[in-house]
Amino acid sequence: MEDFSEIGAIWRGETRRALKSGRALVLLILFMMFVGLTLTGTGWVNHTINAKFEQTLKDAGADTPEIRAKADEQFKAQRRDMLKSFVTDDETMLDSLAAIPLVLLIVFKLTLRFLPLFIALMGFDQLAGEVGPKSVRYLVVRVKRSSIVLGKFLSQATLFGLLLIFCTFLMVVVTKAINADFKWVDVAVWTAKLVLSSYTLSLAYLALTALFSSITRQGTVALVLNIIALFVIWFVAAVGEFFRFPGEVAAPGSLATVLSSESYFAYLRYASVWHYGGDLLHPHWARWMTAGLVHVGFGMIFMGLALIILKRRDL
Amino acid sequence: MSAANRSADKSAVAIEIKNLTKHFGAKTAVNDVSFNVEEGHCYGLIGPNGAGKTTTFSMMCGFLIPSAGSINILGASPAESGALKGKVGVLPQDAVLPPLWPVGELLSYYGELSGLADAEKEARAALEKVQLSETWGVQAGALSHGMHKRVSMAQALMGSPPVIFLDEPTAGLDPKIAAQVRNVIRELKGKHTVVVSSHNLQELEELCDASAILDKGKLVSATSMAELTGTTAEFRVQIAKGEISVSEVRALTGAKDARMEANNVLCVTYDGTIVSVEQIITDTVALLASRKVLLTGVWRGKRLEEKVLQLT
Repeated sequence: MEDFSEIGAIWRGETRRALKSGRALVLLILFMMFVGLTLTGTGWVNHTINAKFEQTLKDAGADTPEIRAKADEQFKAQRRDMLKSFVTDDETMLDSLAAIPLVLLIVFKLTLRFLPLFIALMGFDQLAGEVGPKSVRYLVVRVKRSSIVLGKFLSQATLFGLLLIFCTFLMVVVTKAINADFKWVDVAVWTAKLVLSSYTLSLAYLALTALFSSITRQGTVALVLNIIALFVIWFVAAVGEFFRFPGEVAAPGSLATVLSSESYFAYLRYASVWHYGGDLLHPHWARWMTAGLVHVGFGMIFMGLALIILKRRDL
Repeated sequence: MSAANRSADKSAVAIEIKNLTKHFGAKTAVNDVSFNVEEGHCYGLIGPNGAGKTTTFSMMCGFLIPSAGSINILGASPAESGALKGKVGVLPQDAVLPPLWPVGELLSYYGELSGLADAEKEARAALEKVQLSETWGVQAGALSHGMHKRVSMAQALMGSPPVIFLDEPTAGLDPKIAAQVRNVIRELKGKHTVVVSSHNLQELEELCDASAILDKGKLVSATSMAELTGTTAEFRVQIAKGEISVSEVRALTGAKDARMEANNVLCVTYDGTIVSVEQIITDTVALLASRKVLLTGVWRGKRLEEKVLQLT
C-alpha cells in the first residue's frame, strides 16, 4: 500500500508541476501545429481533387443525379483501392473505415506516426533531467526508486492523455466542419475510437521514453537514443512487412504483388511493436484487444527494463 | 528507540560500515573502509579532495551502490531501495533543487513523499529553522547560493529524522550564515546522529564528537575527536609587551613545547591527555602575568588540521 501512496504522491506532484509550467502549453502548441498542418495539407489536397472531379462532371455535361450517383460509387471504390494499397487489405477493416472522411483517416494515420516522436520530445528528460543535476537525490532518500519511475511514467501518461484528447477532438470537429455528411453520432464514436486506439498505441512509446530517460544522466543523449530506437522499430516493421510469408499469396491488386517477394524476413514484423498498431482500429474485438494487449506487453517490458536499470545504477 | 533513550545509551551504534568498497571502472574510489557512528554523535568525514569522502557519503545515503561491503543505518541498508525512508535526512553537496518549483510547494511535496502527516506545517517549521520563511513562494531556481543551501538543509531536517547527513553544509556561505548553520547543527547534537562531511576542519573540530579521516580511498583514522587531537594540542598567545622565559612555559604541567613565532606570538604545545586546555591556558596566562608580560589575546591552535596534515 505504501508503494501505491508513494507512486500516487509523485504522480500528483509531477502532474501538477507539468500543468503549471509553460512546458504543457508548448507541447499543446506543438501538437496543435502538427494536427493543423496535416489537416490543412490533407484538406487542401482533398478539396482540389473534389473540385476537379466536379469540374470534370460539369465539363462533360454529365451533372445529372444518376451519373453523379454512379460517379460517387466509382469515387468510393477508388478510395477503397487506395486504402487497400496503403493502409490495410483487410476487408472488414475497410468497411469500418468507410464511415469516416478520408481527410480524418489520413490525418490520424500521420498523427500516429508523429506520436512516438512527440512522446520522446515530451518526456526525454523525465528521469535524466533529475539524475544530471542530482535533484533525484532528494527523492531517493524518501521513496523507492521504482516509485520514482512509475510515478513519473503515470504523470507523463496523464499529461499526454489530456493533450491527446484535446487535439483528437479538435481534429474530428474540424473534419466535421468541412464534411457535412459526417454525422454527429459518428463524430462522437470516432473521437472515442481514435483517442482510445492512439492512447493504447502510445503506452508502449511512453514506456520506451521512460526506459531511455533512465539509462543516461543527459537528457539530450536520452532523446537521441530514443529517436534511434524509434527508427529501429519502424525499420524492423517495414522490413518485415515488405516481404510476404513463405507460401503466402499476395492479395490481387495489392502492392504486394508488385513489390514483395517471399522470405522468412516477413516474420521480423512481429518483433516490432509498430506492426500491431494497425489493428487497434479493427472492428473485431479479438483483433483490437490482441493489438492492445501487445502494446501493453511491450510497454511492460520497457518499463521493467527501466525499473531494473534505475534500481541498479548510481544516481 | 526514542531520542531520550538514544542519548542515554551513547554506546548504541547508529551507523555501521564494514569493508565498504566502491569502484568506478578501473578506479577504486573507496577501498575497504570500516567505521561505526554512535547514536546521538556528530561525526565528521574528513579528507583531502579525492579522498573518497563524498563517495562514502553518497553510499551511506543510498545514491551510489557499493561494489563490496555493507552499510547498516538503524537496521536498514541504504542499497535497498526506499529503506532509508523516515530514518534519514540528507543535505547533498551539489544536488540542484528543481528550479521551477516554489520553495514551499517543493518542501511540502518532499514532506508528502516522506510520509509526514502534515507536510506543509513541517515545511514551514523547517524553513523557519533555517530562517528562510520569506522564501515560501519563491521559485527554487531564483534562490542565491546561500539560500539554496539553507533550503536544502531545511528539507533534510523535515520530519526530524534520527540520522542526518550533511555534505559540506557551510561551503560557499558567508561567515554570518555559516555561523547560523553551525548553530543549527549544534542544536541537532545529542538529539540526532549527524554525519558531516567538510573541508573546514576548524568547524568539524568544534562540532564533532568523532571523525573518520580518509585518504586516497582508504581509512587512515576513525576515532573520537578528543583522542585524535589530544596528543598534539596547542594554543597561541599574542604578546604585546614584556620578556618571556620560554623554558618556564615548557616546565608547566602537561606542556610539551613552547616557542616564539613571528609577530611576537608564543606557541605552546601540550599533551591533552595530561592536562585540559582550560588548565594549561590558565597556567600559562598566570605565569606570564606574574612576569609582567602584557597580552592582547589567546587562541587555540588548529589541532585537527595539523593532525589531518600529518595523517594524509
